[in-house]
Amino acid sequence: MTFRSKVFLIFLITVLASVSLVAYGVTFYTQRAFEQMDTQRTHALEVQFAKEFGQRGETIVQQVENITNADVTVRMVLDLARPNADASLYLHDANGAAQSHGLDFVEFVNSDGTLVSSAQYPARVGYKNDWVASAKNWDTTGAFLKREELPDAAALSLTAVRTQTVGNKTIYIIGGRRLDQNFLASLELPEGMRALLYRNLEPTFVASALTDANGGVQQAEAFQSLIEQIQKQPQDLTKTISWNRDPANAETFHAMPLKGRNGELLGVLLLGSSAKELVLLKREILKIAGVVSLAALVIGLLLSWWVSRRITRPVVELANGARDVASGRWDTRIDVKGSDEIGQLANAFNEMTGTLAAQKEKLVQTERVAAWRELARRLAHELRNPLFPLQITVENLQRARQLSPQQFQEVFTEATATLKAEFANLNNIVTRFSDFSKMPAPEFSKVNVNEALRDAIRLFEPQFTAVGKPHISTEYFLSDSLPEIDADPNLLHKMFQNLILNAMDAMPAGGTLSLRSSDGGDTVRIEVSDTGKGLTPEECSRLFTPYYTTKQLGTGLGLAIVQSVVSDHHGTISVSSEEGHGTTFRIELPKRQGGAALKPKADAKSAEKEPERAATATN
Amino acid sequence: MRFAKLHSLAAISIVLAALACNSIQAATPRYGGTLHVKMRAPSVSLDPREWTPGSLSSAAGEKLASLVYDRLISLDDLAKFEPALAIEWSHDAASRNWQFKLRSGVRFSDGSLLTPADAVASLQSSLGKGFEVTGIENGVAVRAAHPAPDLLEQLASGRNFVYRRQPDGTLLGTGPFFVAESVMAAPSEINPTAIKPARIKFQANEDAWSGRPFVDFVEVTLGEPPLRQLLELQVGKADIAEIAPDLVRKARQEGLRIWNSAPQTLVALRFDDGFDAPASDQLREALWLALDRETMANVLLQREAQPADSLLPQWLSGYAFLFESPMNLQRARELRAAFSAGVPGAAQPLRLRVDAPGDLFKLMGERVAVNARQANLQVQVALPVNGSNTPAPAAGLHLFAWHYDSLSPRAELEAFVKQMLNGADLPATMTDPEQLFAQERRLLDERRILPLVLLPEYAGVRANVHNWNASPWGDWRLADVWLDSEDPMTAKAPAGTQKNSSTARSPGARP
Repeated sequence: MTFRSKVFLIFLITVLASVSLVAYGVTFYTQRAFEQMDTQRTHALEVQFAKEFGQRGETIVQQVENITNADVTVRMVLDLARPNADASLYLHDANGAAQSHGLDFVEFVNSDGTLVSSAQYPARVGYKNDWVASAKNWDTTGAFLKREELPDAAALSLTAVRTQTVGNKTIYIIGGRRLDQNFLASLELPEGMRALLYRNLEPTFVASALTDANGGVQQAEAFQSLIEQIQKQPQDLTKTISWNRDPANAETFHAMPLKGRNGELLGVLLLGSSAKELVLLKREILKIAGVVSLAALVIGLLLSWWVSRRITRPVVELANGARDVASGRWDTRIDVKGSDEIGQLANAFNEMTGTLAAQKEKLVQTERVAAWRELARRLAHELRNPLFPLQITVENLQRARQLSPQQFQEVFTEATATLKAEFANLNNIVTRFSDFSKMPAPEFSKVNVNEALRDAIRLFEPQFTAVGKPHISTEYFLSDSLPEIDADPNLLHKMFQNLILNAMDAMPAGGTLSLRSSDGGDTVRIEVSDTGKGLTPEECSRLFTPYYTTKQLGTGLGLAIVQSVVSDHHGTISVSSEEGHGTTFRIELPKRQGGAALKPKADAKSAEKEPERAATATN
Repeated sequence: MRFAKLHSLAAISIVLAALACNSIQAATPRYGGTLHVKMRAPSVSLDPREWTPGSLSSAAGEKLASLVYDRLISLDDLAKFEPALAIEWSHDAASRNWQFKLRSGVRFSDGSLLTPADAVASLQSSLGKGFEVTGIENGVAVRAAHPAPDLLEQLASGRNFVYRRQPDGTLLGTGPFFVAESVMAAPSEINPTAIKPARIKFQANEDAWSGRPFVDFVEVTLGEPPLRQLLELQVGKADIAEIAPDLVRKARQEGLRIWNSAPQTLVALRFDDGFDAPASDQLREALWLALDRETMANVLLQREAQPADSLLPQWLSGYAFLFESPMNLQRARELRAAFSAGVPGAAQPLRLRVDAPGDLFKLMGERVAVNARQANLQVQVALPVNGSNTPAPAAGLHLFAWHYDSLSPRAELEAFVKQMLNGADLPATMTDPEQLFAQERRLLDERRILPLVLLPEYAGVRANVHNWNASPWGDWRLADVWLDSEDPMTAKAPAGTQKNSSTARSPGARP
């Protein structure tokens, strides 16, 4: 990853993280505000319920007292106080009282607890209501929750009891109103809230016992666990119920147990608060945050691109400058503005390249001088060898003028032959130098490397086995699956000849010449090894320098030609040597030469027919 | 002082004279007016062939049918048979062959003469397969498959009216009224041309053999709720209205004139025919012992009913006092304790369906459930859905009301057993009361029928209705009543009054 990418990414992450943090913060504080509001609303509703409950209780007490103090009731007490009074006369009185006073439940109970009249359950008339007769101080007791037995089922009521006493006779008047959806309908609920009432009249959860202001509650089974929890331990509980997968439809219910006169659990009030508003607001916030994030992303992208570009431009220029220096352009300079750390770095870079360029120029001049010196030494050395016989021959010839003509003739003939030979030798030296300076450009065609190697060896085989000469054996480790490569067959032949000649020179006492070829993927690997005396590391480092040789009669051009051929084929050459154990040359040539036109095969073949000339030229 | 005394004496004389005149005027029957009658039954059929024995709606139908049709004979309040369409009758020693001589010159409401064939067709249909009815000269002969000493009681009650079936399916009668107008509520199930009116207006039959009734019209409104009936009676919108037993005391407190019959309706429990639960005998016995009939009659029905220990009432059978149904909660609980949990009424409630309509019967059903609970029996009350169309549950209990239709205890018990005990037949040779008693004892001991209370019929009669002379068994005899004229202009002499001097009788008088 580039420095610019890193800067860009860091900038982008910073922008996104900032937006996300803001969105999270807004959502968090909104949710907390909603929860506080919800708690307040629930509390307000609890207060309202308690108030409504109290008011309704007071109304019921008032209505029961009205019945108690009615003339009809007083007359009933008087009548029932008589011996053998007929209580059946009052069978329907409770019903009439209930209708006239707007109560759902009214019962008249005799002083011994016997039911005299019942509006809601007349079939029970004559049976005992012991609970009412066993308690005292009814006239000072307010309304309370009561389980009301009815013919078909039980009901939940808000009930008050009063007594009417005339003389020694007392009857109990019980009046109440049903606690059902009508009671819930009287509660004023804020938007998004609803009140449910569970009438706990059965030992187990009964879905139909749950009602809201409109009657039955759908999916009442969802409340089962909450109700059962309160049945086990009657205390306030809060639970969130998810009606479906959409969290907006979830409701949080605050459940309050409603207890009877003796502390028994008779009902549960459930105040539900919808999470819809909160969820929708959160969604809105997230939507806005998303849009802001997207905008921030775009702006951040542009900004971070611009900033990173601005920050990294000098660094990129420095990197390019360093790359140029690495590629040999020592005079590279960077145009840097500013005086910050990057500017100082750029100035230092410029100073460095300036120094490097000057040193390189100096080194080149030194090397050039050294090369000329080496060339002059080599030329002098090369030329001195034939010049000395020439000088001796000419001096002999001058001395031979004093000899007899016959003797002079003999000397003259011998001298001219020597002169010719040495001139030929001089010519040869000049030709070799000339050839090196005129290395032809490669003409690529398909070449089988193994065959080229064998052809080169075949040329030298007579010398390997000649009598009186050191014996050299050859070993082949050639890969059969080696493909043809793009190469100049003549140059390749010349390269192999020079390598073989070099190996022969390295083994004056004979040895083994090994040839290896292998597939290196995109390249072909060639190794030429000898078992000669080897090279020192210094010799290895200078081996490919033109005119450098370790041999008495070498020109120092053989391996330079090899390197030149390898270079022209865009390959590489390396040498490894261990003193006393021989030397190995490793060449890697690319299989394909990009962009180079291939010469037809016939030309390549015809070129292969001139190895002798090449060999001669090399020698 | 003397003048003052004279003035006072004169004034008193005038007042007394005026009162005497009023008294004379009030005691003098008068024709005219419309008698407004309110009944609880939502619909009635005037076709005796459609009546279901024992049903309350059929009883209402019979009450109104007696305005339109006549029977061969009738029974007075002293249980003496009187001629009606038959003026003479005789039978053999075995009481199997009976002959009845028809009254001559009797005409149907369309003016056509009554013939023996009309009587044969009607009676053959009503008496059923045990009797063969044939026409004889000026009369009909009835041949019973078995001795029928109670044939006269049968013919004087129930569905044994004489009528003529018209080609269009309607029935003609010879009674004191004929149907002038009816508002249909629903077509008859058996006879689509017959109607079950919700309001029927009867018009006086000027040519009735028994004499023209006093009132011109009797307008009967059906399906009136009990409290509304009472209210309309109080405000004068009704002259006669049925009063529910639980409202009788209230009606009396309001100062209304209340008539009641002998006990006419049996309220009882019946175990369903398919009820064959394990330990069902103990369950039935336990429930029978748990029932508090006294409280039902004296408290819930405010002493306007009688606790029932038998199927037939004392006035009909004469031996009902021999039965008793003692309440024994301790024994009932002991029996209940022996139940296994799978028995209905133990862990699972026994379903009690109230087949009779109205709040009163529902209240009684609830009382049965309360009584049962005292014996630790679980009984759950289920109300009727659509009257008799409600499919019976596979097993359970029914609270039903049975109205006594016949004046023959044997015929009544036979009809009861046939209807309520899935068509079981009593021995045909059962003729004397001892046999009847034994049979009823056997039925009660099975505990499939548990009597609760006996209800009389109650009717509120306005003060302007005179000569109200209903029979103890519930025949209202509306042809005999006459009305005070609230508006003298509406009172009129009946057309053709005493036009036939040979048959002239006082209006409404029965032969």
